Amino acid sequence: MEKGDKVWEVFVQKKSGLPFKHVGNVHAYDKKMAVQNARDLYTRRSEGRALWVVPTEAIVSVPLDQADAFFDPADDKAYRHATFYVTPDGVNHL
Amino acid sequence: MKITIENNEAKFLFRIADTSLILGQRLAELCSKGPFLEEDIALSNCSLDLFGRAEELYKIIASIEGNKFTPDDYVFRRNEREYYNIKLVEQPNEDFAWTMARQFMHDVWAKEVFTQLLSSKNQQLVGLSEKVLKEIEYSLIHSRDWLYRLGLGTEESNSRTQAAFDHLLKYVEEIFNFDELDKTYLTNVENIEKVWQDEINRVLSEINVERKEIQPLTMRDFRDGFHSEHIGHLLSIMQYLPRAYPEAKWS
Repeated sequence: MEKGDKVWEVFVQKKSGLPFKHVGNVHAYDKKMAVQNARDLYTRRSEGRALWVVPTEAIVSVPLDQADAFFDPADDKAYRHATFYVTPDGVNHL
Repeated sequence: MKITIENNEAKFLFRIADTSLILGQRLAELCSKGPFLEEDIALSNCSLDLFGRAEELYKIIASIEGNKFTPDDYVFRRNEREYYNIKLVEQPNEDFAWTMARQFMHDVWAKEVFTQLLSSKNQQLVGLSEKVLKEIEYSLIHSRDWLYRLGLGTEESNSRTQAAFDHLLKYVEEIFNFDELDKTYLTNVENIEKVWQDEINRVLSEINVERKEIQPLTMRDFRDGFHSEHIGHLLSIMQYLPRAYPEAKWS
């Protein structure tokens, strides 16, 4: 990578109201270039109507070596799923 | 096969169709040779837009001309003097600054031309213009943004951009020597020059590139099929396969 060159993560929204999905990344030197590169790489087959680009360095992730501490404690807590009570009549979509 | 053109509207449309085709071919030459992967794909997208635009225009021309020839005939079976593109777009990809300067100069012109074609009596042409204006708008954003980066970038990128404009501006004068055909099929030819000059001057003044007094080249008009030396090389590559193998088919 040259000076000023950054990696940006790309998120595409298929249509208004749907969530933005991560689709990949692009190299770019500034915001405008990032969003244009994302458009040219990831929406050329009508994949979406809106785009986000985020500098990869702005994304904070859980360190891999702490994954057990972060996520394993949830494994034996099935009661967190809302399956232990009777749904009232008329509730069809929970 | 001698390609003939009978109709005045067809003669006029060849100028726009050929300009799209030749610029498309110039950008296609950069496929796999872009400065970096993302820009390589952006240039190829833009090239495909131009080829698509040219093909649709050749289809309209073919139907005006009673389908005596196909779009492929028009592309692959005409010689230099039978091409009517503006000389600006046949200039080679000297470096990236040239490519973007040429693109920007073309896009500003194309935007105003297709805007005026929205008022055409030919409904096919109106439909096509509505579609391609969106492509041109995007291409214009892309090429103009690059000129700001290059002009306001490093000393090297600025001097290359200056050199690109110094050279390419020599080919511009003919674009605005409108003839009767232009005046018949466009709604306001004077406005094409005004919009173009205003936008070029505005951008150049903002990116620290000087618009120098240019000695225009004494070359005859593209409307009569005159060109710079570059078009022959371009056509020889573009037309090689169908010329060498006239029976070749996509399988």
